[in-house]
Amino acid sequence: MVFQRQQPGQWKAGALALLVHVLFLGLMIFSVSWQNQEPSGIQVELWSEVPAPAKVAAPAPPRKPEPKPEPKPKPEPKPEPKPAPPEPKPEPKQLKADIELKAKEEEKKKRREEELKQQKEKQKQEEEKRKQKLEEEKRKQELDKKLQQEKQEALRQQQAQIEAENARKAEAVAAGQRMLDDYRGRIQAKIKRFIILPPDLAGNPQAEFDVTLMPTGEVLHLKLTRSSGSGAYDNAVERAIVKAQPLPLPPDPGQFSKFRELHLKFKPREDL
Amino acid sequence: MNVNQDLSFLSLITNASVVVQLVMLGLLVASMISWWYIFQKMFAINEAKQTTDKFERDFWSGLDLQTLFQKVNSRDAGGMESIFEGGFQEFSKLRRQTGADVALVMESTRRAMRAAYHRELDLLEAHLPFLATVGSVSPYVGLFGTVWGIMNAFRSLSSVGQATLAHVAPGIAEALIATAMGLFAAIPAVIAYNRYSSEIDRLATRFDSFMEEFSNILQRQAK
Repeated sequence: MVFQRQQPGQWKAGALALLVHVLFLGLMIFSVSWQNQEPSGIQVELWSEVPAPAKVAAPAPPRKPEPKPEPKPKPEPKPEPKPAPPEPKPEPKQLKADIELKAKEEEKKKRREEELKQQKEKQKQEEEKRKQKLEEEKRKQELDKKLQQEKQEALRQQQAQIEAENARKAEAVAAGQRMLDDYRGRIQAKIKRFIILPPDLAGNPQAEFDVTLMPTGEVLHLKLTRSSGSGAYDNAVERAIVKAQPLPLPPDPGQFSKFRELHLKFKPREDL
Repeated sequence: MNVNQDLSFLSLITNASVVVQLVMLGLLVASMISWWYIFQKMFAINEAKQTTDKFERDFWSGLDLQTLFQKVNSRDAGGMESIFEGGFQEFSKLRRQTGADVALVMESTRRAMRAAYHRELDLLEAHLPFLATVGSVSPYVGLFGTVWGIMNAFRSLSSVGQATLAHVAPGIAEALIATAMGLFAAIPAVIAYNRYSSEIDRLATRFDSFMEEFSNILQRQAK
């Protein structure tokens, strides 16, 4: 006997399963997308950075209006299409038959007058709205123009700043080079003071060392890269380097990276 | 690297790597099927319960067994009804054969009822193992997608000199979606599995006790 029975509600179950997933997906999409607003915050920060070059050409005024007009243009057009205030409905009071005709006529007149008034008011309001719209558009255009001008100015200032910075950088590089040479000389001089020359030294051999320094001026690592040919002189220089600690370093810790690894050359009779 | 990355849900999914996307697709399919089974089982178990309730009421209302059998036989029986149907059919067939021993008749009646009982339970328990599998495996699958995505995020980080949170965040966010989907598939499946298996157990107990009571009644009639 083949036992098979239709399971109840297969299609219904499938539809419900689909519904659950659509709901879940919608929830995820709408609840996660709020993070989209973050980039706008970053934009504001960027704007606040632009006025920094103001030192060059004194564009103090454009700084303030800049962040303000940005958010404004968006909300402005919104209030325009406000629905007209609902017309006060004419009171539908029905006059009873026994009231005099005069009263009726007066009522009608009044009503007409009221309607006329209302129409006039409406027209007025519409005109005002139109005027407001025009003004707002004008204002917007002006704002746009201003914004563009300001942007261009900011760009120009940025360029100027970049140029100035480049010049400054070049100067700094030159100064750094000078300082580098200066301190190298000082280090060599200090080490030289500690060298005790071996008595039987022939010629003027050169010993080369690789020295790794700590930021405090102490020697972390020391290695002879090229012997002078005289072991006694090599040893003397090595001892001198160790004794000369701490070696003189520039006071600016940012400069230390240039002194971390030094290649030093020593000759017994350099000044000759 | 672009800092102003769009972090919306859809873009996170579309920007994910192929492996993570495959994991997500698999999880989505598993979740769809498990929800489908969840609803299907819900309907099936509810119907079995309702028909069993109704049949028990009919059975204990003192109705004649022959008329009850005809009533049940006329419609597509399910649950306790089919046990009754199977047992009574076998019983009346054997009774008509003259000279049948009472003990023998009762034995084969019980066997028939047992067969119907197992068939019913099998029908009710179908697809439950799938729910159990989804419930236990899909978190791991989601975790695999996440680990893979985070691995990629960190690997791309190594090529950037200065590491900021903005470089890792999108990768990790898109990777974590895989875990979220795994949990979304697993939690309902586990809940449904536990609930349905306990409900089916209770139904099975009811069927069992009915079988005992019914065979007692039949035995009394056979004498």
